[in-house]
Amino acid sequence: MNAAPRPRTAALAFAVGLVLADSSIVVLALPEIYRELDTSVAGVTWVLVSFNLVMALAAVPAAHLARRVGPGRAAAVGLAVFAGAGIACGIAAELSTLIAARCAQALGGALAVTAVLELLPATAGSERRAVAVWATAGATGAALGPAVGGLLTQLVSWQSIFLVQAPLAIAAGVPLLAIARHEAATGIVSAELRRTGRPHLLANLALTLVSSAIAAALFLLVLLLIEGWRLSPIGAAIVVTAMPLAALLGARLGPGAGSARARAAAGAILVSGGLGGLALLPHADVALTLPPQLLVGIGLALVLSALTETALLGRAPQAIHGGWTISARHAGVAVGLILLTPLFTEEIDQQRHDAIDAATAVVLDSKVSPLLKLELSQRIQDRLEGERGKVPTIGPAFEPLPEDPADRVAVVGLREELQDQLDRAATHAFSSSFGLAALLGLLALIPIGLARRVDL
Amino acid sequence: MSPDARGRFLIGAALAASLALVLVYLAAGGSSYAPEKVKDPCQPRAWRNPESLQEIAEQFSLSALDGAACRLGVSRETLARALATPESRERFARRYGIDDAELARAIRAGLLRAVDDAERAGALNPLLAAPLREVVRRIPLEQAVELVKDARSLLNSAQNFLGPAQGLLEQVLP
Repeated sequence: MNAAPRPRTAALAFAVGLVLADSSIVVLALPEIYRELDTSVAGVTWVLVSFNLVMALAAVPAAHLARRVGPGRAAAVGLAVFAGAGIACGIAAELSTLIAARCAQALGGALAVTAVLELLPATAGSERRAVAVWATAGATGAALGPAVGGLLTQLVSWQSIFLVQAPLAIAAGVPLLAIARHEAATGIVSAELRRTGRPHLLANLALTLVSSAIAAALFLLVLLLIEGWRLSPIGAAIVVTAMPLAALLGARLGPGAGSARARAAAGAILVSGGLGGLALLPHADVALTLPPQLLVGIGLALVLSALTETALLGRAPQAIHGGWTISARHAGVAVGLILLTPLFTEEIDQQRHDAIDAATAVVLDSKVSPLLKLELSQRIQDRLEGERGKVPTIGPAFEPLPEDPADRVAVVGLREELQDQLDRAATHAFSSSFGLAALLGLLALIPIGLARRVDL
Repeated sequence: MSPDARGRFLIGAALAASLALVLVYLAAGGSSYAPEKVKDPCQPRAWRNPESLQEIAEQFSLSALDGAACRLGVSRETLARALATPESRERFARRYGIDDAELARAIRAGLLRAVDDAERAGALNPLLAAPLREVVRRIPLEQAVELVKDARSLLNSAQNFLGPAQGLLEQVLP
């Protein structure tokens, strides 16, 4: 059972990364799902919310189950359920089926991730190292998720995101079969079935708050890039890769950079600062999203690892306390999405209305003929009204271009001016939501600060 | 450096980086990057020194839209979209609970404001303003809408009417 611990540690870490990537991997596919399944922005958000909500609710019970039936068996079964549900997600033709399959995926994922934490100390060599591997694998998976999802969505389809996971989950589960067989043969189901200590409330509360802010950063930024600024999924994937790259940089700032409390506080400040920058974008330009992403990426690496280590180290059983951190993180993601979705969908509607008025004003004050002005105003209105629930595109409203050369030149100039108004509307529609997310990140400083008097 | 000092440095650096980003974006106009707000139609709007008949007609239409929108309590832009087609006018009337009589009154008020604005801007001979006002006060709704869309016919007929008589009138009037 102890043979080849390094590949087994890698396989376990891969399983954790694969499952936790699922909380964010679908972010870049949401616009495609939105169009293909003919739903609303609020509806498609539940593809993300359902997974995170079920993970939050199931993580601790799953950890108890893993300790009862044996972590090897639990992890293997969890990964099998995760793979099967992934296939169901990939062939879902309706939003309700997709959401149901996502819930099943989360149940399997919760069982696998918490059970793996129980198995890791034996293969990683120590509890501290096991916690570090587990936390890093989870953070890496969550940070890489959107970029991988974006690539698959554009190169293949949104369905491929889920279908690809099935063989990967099965491959990660193969090394677990030996452990599961050993558990079945010996009847050993867990190292110790002693009483569970209380979870670290402050660290888990801080994890919830900061996770809601990070989820908002990923989710809102992707929607802004694809729906607002009309980037392709692959283009958006390249842009949001800045965040995991920055997270890798932040991960290098290990315990040597300061105490867990200092790293957690600095991380929360950076996440909030980055979100504050996204709330105040001065122009619709992807380059301007890079400095905020840098701050959020470094911040998330610092704060997630510091808080996870604090919540786990010295606490037993690991699976149960790991379950609490998983629960806290995913509850944060779900709460963040539930809080922010109505806010930004309402903002998009308001901004669409303002953009229609601003666009009409530009047309009326332009130098095209009066009759063409009225015709264009009407075409713009039809175009913009037809795209409820998102920031619209304006180009088709100008087709066909007028035959009169003077009008044609004026209309082309107009189109650019109107596009600027729409870019302003698209960018501004997300400002309040990024601002609220920054506030959630700052709120995490309260439990982090209070923990000074406890044991953070 | 002690662990405490390293921790304080880390927090200080995070604060400095965050504040710097927010301040730079604010200074670059991050708080005002939004669609331009439309102007209040009840406020006067400057004319752009129109020269040709078409330019005068355009300014006349915009003034008329402003005046009518002000009377109806909607933006000039909303009214412009409403007047584009009979269907859009019907949708507008349903949405704002406005009947044809009210719309006609508002558009006539808008046209009267346009006559005033044109006169003030020196684009309309004062001798023509009074008869034009009389025409506008009696004009049916459909024709009023057409005038808002294109005032060239009205202004053109007025100029043609005044042409021969203008020299004489200028001599006898103060």
